Amino acid sequence: MLTMLRRLFLIPVLLALSIAACSQKSEDKEVAQTSGKLAVLDWAGYDAADFWIDFKNKYPDAAVGFEIGSSDADIYGKMKAGTQADIFHVYTGWLQFYVDEGLVEEIDVTKLQNWSKVPESFRIIGQFNGKQYFLPWDWGFTSILYRTDKVKGTIDSWTALHDPKYQGHIATWDDGPGMVTVSSYIHQYDETAITPEQLAAIKAEWIKQRKLNLFYWAGEPELIDAMANGDVWVAYAWQGAYATLLGQGVPVAYADPKEGRNSWVGAYGIRKGTPNKDLALRFLDEKLAEATASNVVNQFYYGVANQEVMQGITDPALKQAFSIDDPTVLQRTNFTPNLTARQRDDWTAMWTEVKAAP
Amino acid sequence: MHPRRATFWALYLPPVAWVGLFFLVPLVLMFALSFRADMQGELLGPWRPGLTQYEAIFAVGSYWRLLAISIGMALAVAAAAVTLAYPIAYFLVFRAGRAAGICLVILMIPFWTSFLLRVMSWKFLLGSEGVINSLLSYLNVISEPLGGLLYSRNAVVITLIYVWVPFAALPIYAALQRIDHELLESAADLGARPWAGFRAVTFPLSLTGVLASFFMVFIPTVGEYVTPLLIGGSSGSMFGNIIQDFFTKAANWPRGAALSIVMLAITLVLVAIAARVVNVRRLLG
Repeated sequence: MLTMLRRLFLIPVLLALSIAACSQKSEDKEVAQTSGKLAVLDWAGYDAADFWIDFKNKYPDAAVGFEIGSSDADIYGKMKAGTQADIFHVYTGWLQFYVDEGLVEEIDVTKLQNWSKVPESFRIIGQFNGKQYFLPWDWGFTSILYRTDKVKGTIDSWTALHDPKYQGHIATWDDGPGMVTVSSYIHQYDETAITPEQLAAIKAEWIKQRKLNLFYWAGEPELIDAMANGDVWVAYAWQGAYATLLGQGVPVAYADPKEGRNSWVGAYGIRKGTPNKDLALRFLDEKLAEATASNVVNQFYYGVANQEVMQGITDPALKQAFSIDDPTVLQRTNFTPNLTARQRDDWTAMWTEVKAAP
Repeated sequence: MHPRRATFWALYLPPVAWVGLFFLVPLVLMFALSFRADMQGELLGPWRPGLTQYEAIFAVGSYWRLLAISIGMALAVAAAAVTLAYPIAYFLVFRAGRAAGICLVILMIPFWTSFLLRVMSWKFLLGSEGVINSLLSYLNVISEPLGGLLYSRNAVVITLIYVWVPFAALPIYAALQRIDHELLESAADLGARPWAGFRAVTFPLSLTGVLASFFMVFIPTVGEYVTPLLIGGSSGSMFGNIIQDFFTKAANWPRGAALSIVMLAITLVLVAIAARVVNVRRLLG
């Protein structure tokens, strides 16, 4: 009888102990998933804590290190060369290569608590072969930015970048595919199927334009400086530069070209084979959280995939920069398509020939 | 092992290993990469070597023209830097006396700041709101800022000369310091005036330093890309910028590698020809 009682007593005790042990084990596992080291391959400026503040606050035991890429090509090169970054940040036009070459991990969006804040129109940008490979995050327009005190009238066409009236006061982006895009808008070419003849015409057009162009900008700060001091009057620009100059009180306008504006989207991917996939997913989830997303809007003046944050914008300069009060702006916008490897090689080589030309 | 031999290896192995690992191996990799057709597949995996990149380079005349311009610019920069550096080095060795040490430190001061900062400072000097334009405007010499100062090939050349002068002075300084002062005294005793003594003794004996200085400036300037990128503008690109573009903007490392190999080969040929023309061996005794 005593043995029986002992058994009856022992069974719940053992059960309780094993449940406690299991729960302890589960808690240990939870701790392991929320700590550790994450390496992020990102663009200069995005490494600031403001742009991953939610992750930093929520997972204080996780260490985040940044490797800086200077361009989409640079980031792609680093990924090809075997960087150990767990997460990388690339822009539309350059997404397909990562999928084709098996460099990016599929994202399990069911684990993302903030995914519901991303509209379908953004989600599809990161989808390939029916799978979500990239998490869309920042976005913006590209158009012609001009000094209203130097340019008479308004600019309503991309041809302004080729207008001799502005000789010595034009600045375009130092990017071959970007310039092919502009030419395709001007000449109504199908950007996804540029022929060799069209590419030759585009090259000739930009060689001619070089005499009008002051410099090819590589980063927004140098463009902003040159527009603020009056060296540049007309520029190919992202709307971040527009909002910054508006904020500085520089008289500028952002054209609404008849050929349509361009729009780009930045997206985060997880490196295929990373041992920190779970932590990387948490990082991406927190990139969409409110404080982080708001910071990219307020500090970089870029849009963000979190629509709750976008709908909450009240700053008049930002509303103007994003054309928030214009419901038709997206219908008149050309979204950057993905490049093929061949297009990438041909268009970038074309641009080096423009720069090397007499 | 004999102690002398052990000392020899202890002294020479680390630098040889360092140069081998961080100079020769990357160079070999670059050479190998230039025979890839594209970036498809693993970068360090096996690939079928081919001449696609070299064929593409030979088909583009503007690359060769730009290489010729870059070589011309490098020659101009090297000649100007050496010409300006020579009097500095001469002053330090023969005129500065006890102040030579302090003067040498002053000469070295630019090295304490970043190369980028030194180049960027020229933007503030030559810009439309820069020091030169502001001064000319203040003096009512101009009503509108001079636009051609910045963002041009001239701006690149001027900046590079400024950057290289302190470097160029060092080999000349070392060569002048090695000159036996008794030779100069003998020349004077034999009636040579200072200028004749300089032409007959000082300058010929310092030529090794002058040549070292010239090549030290010329070789890296041919492949320069930072200065033209920052202040060269649309028309100020050099060959190095095209190479850089293929690596960082085009993701076409094989093309960039092939252009680098072409530039390296041509620079080596030019240096070899120059060395033969001036007969370096004879100069070195």
